[in-house]
Amino acid sequence: MFIGHFTEEPWQVPDWPDEWGTGIHKVSNAEYDPYRAANLYNRYLDEKIYAEEVGFDGLMVNEHHSAPFCMNGVANVQASILARITTKVKILLLGNILPIHDDPLWLAEQLAMIDVISRGRLIPGIVRGSGGESISHNIPPHYNRERFEEAHDFLIKTWTTPGPFRWEGKHFHYRYVNPWAVPYHKPHPPIWVPGTSSRETVEWCARHRYPYVMLSTQLELTREMFKIYYETAEEEGYQAGPQHMGYMFFVHVEETKAKAMEVGRTLTQGVRSPFDPGVQRPIPWIMSPPGLNSRKAVALRRQMTAPDATGKTRAGALASFEDQVATKGMIVGTPEQCVEDIRYIMDYLRPGIIIFRTGDGAMDHESQMRTLKLMGEEVLPAMRDIAKELGLPGPYEVDPATNEPVEALAS
Amino acid sequence: MTDTSATFTEETLDIAGISLQLRRGGSGDPLLVLHGELGVPDWLEAHELLAQHYSVCVPSLPGFGTSSFPDWLMSVRDLSAWVNWFVRECGLPTPLNVVGFSMGGWIAAELATTNHALFSKMVLVGAAGLKPREGEIWDYFLNSAKDAFQRSFHDHESAQYLKYYGKDWTPDEAEQVETNREAAIRYLWRPYMHSVTLPDLLPAIATPTLLVWGRQDGIVPISSCEIYEDSVANAQVAVIEDCGHMPEMEKPEEFAKTVLKFLKG
Repeated sequence: MFIGHFTEEPWQVPDWPDEWGTGIHKVSNAEYDPYRAANLYNRYLDEKIYAEEVGFDGLMVNEHHSAPFCMNGVANVQASILARITTKVKILLLGNILPIHDDPLWLAEQLAMIDVISRGRLIPGIVRGSGGESISHNIPPHYNRERFEEAHDFLIKTWTTPGPFRWEGKHFHYRYVNPWAVPYHKPHPPIWVPGTSSRETVEWCARHRYPYVMLSTQLELTREMFKIYYETAEEEGYQAGPQHMGYMFFVHVEETKAKAMEVGRTLTQGVRSPFDPGVQRPIPWIMSPPGLNSRKAVALRRQMTAPDATGKTRAGALASFEDQVATKGMIVGTPEQCVEDIRYIMDYLRPGIIIFRTGDGAMDHESQMRTLKLMGEEVLPAMRDIAKELGLPGPYEVDPATNEPVEALAS
Repeated sequence: MTDTSATFTEETLDIAGISLQLRRGGSGDPLLVLHGELGVPDWLEAHELLAQHYSVCVPSLPGFGTSSFPDWLMSVRDLSAWVNWFVRECGLPTPLNVVGFSMGGWIAAELATTNHALFSKMVLVGAAGLKPREGEIWDYFLNSAKDAFQRSFHDHESAQYLKYYGKDWTPDEAEQVETNREAAIRYLWRPYMHSVTLPDLLPAIATPTLLVWGRQDGIVPISSCEIYEDSVANAQVAVIEDCGHMPEMEKPEEFAKTVLKFLKG
């Protein structure tokens, strides 16, 4: 079992107007206060250091663009810092938005350096990104998937083939690929891919045997997506297992249920991610510009995320905090209660990767530190026992690329 | 409104490497119509008025309407090359007259810079292709499809706005709008709606040219018209008052009269 920590690292101010919502492509960066930002960045880094100390296996970092709900505009900056200020935890990027890079060679070298400085602790996950990312970097949305796939192939070749070589693709062209830095981890750092409800992505992922991490999605939908992974793996001639399946969900732990509910509620307050349950979706033609997703994919997603018979949507609609707690979309309670709910999830989904989304929304630093302490003392050890009992190896126990056991967890 | 019910044909042809949706009507010398980035929804009143004097040919450009969309088409210059191919394969005698709207005007201008023998006369209507001297080309992709049509018309009570755009779309209509946006985004994404090299090529144009602009064009600022006027030798200008980006739909009679006067003159 691999247990990761994640916060979206939202902008926090006491007086964020409701009508600004997630802020994505809506609020001017005139609102960005560098002094406040300095405190927040350093706070989030402090929390990550502590998450390593209490026993998390991985620190997940992501990025979004023109997006106050995620202060990380450049995930690799934070990953670089973590490479130096942490010692054993994996640095999980979920991930670099491949299509928006016009120069993936630069990206390949950045990631190689982070992997080397961290002595092989980098997991350079990759994503296609929503339309907003393409808009912000003026990258053609209609070539998103082509650029994702070509950049992926280019990264892998750059990391595994001695240079110099030439690359003449459709979207990327190089006459001299020979970055001095190459990755520490051989044959190349492990790639993971996050998902929400794109069938094309889960199939692509399964074809590459990359661990697939569902992000804050409803349980049943998550299981369906895992099923697609298992079926695709079978078509590819291998047996998928827990080492290929990841799931991220909100967790907040306190000494009492009442306190957990009171403080946990702040996860759903403040500057929220537009991808989370309970959040109004931002401008559709920006999030999904023409051609970003194939018509087939759009239709499939609509089908996958359609409301059920009771009218509840499955990929995250305007669910209340109470609803999300009740449906185990958010795990909030005492350590014992949380372990019980998490056991249910582990049994239901059989993931080898679990990522706690915590310290998010409007939550303050003290609450995050308090919950991290309880997680480390009580929740994580219990989960490791449950994982053994249920047979849920993570990707550092069973290699997703080969299904062979991995010798040592530590680098 | 002119009756357009039985005066044109619509067919699907395998031509110039694609499956092409083609509307044609009228008789006489050919007149090629190159639609804009929002596609063309129908055989329009303006087409009919022009078809009373010319054999009007309105292809749905690759990716628009029901025309297929090969991967190789990645830019307006590619699209210009395709139009040249289409004209030859379609057997249209050259030189021929052309009317290009917005993106279609840009295509016509590109072609006229490279082939002096293709067009006899050229009408550019609210033509894209240049970075305006003042203002910016309105961004279709930071706005909804509905907003785009609203922005394209000055008068939201005009008959064709109400007929095609200022209403609830059927699922098929909405689907078609999205198809056209997917085509437009591939041709126009960056540099947005303009070429960085076209301005320097415009003086190469020898084709007699008329520039038609709606005074209240909310998509391509009228300052672009000035660049075309200054760069294309002897270009004439006709500004249509109280009119937006689509004079052919907002003021079809005045538009057709203006175009015919130029073509016949």
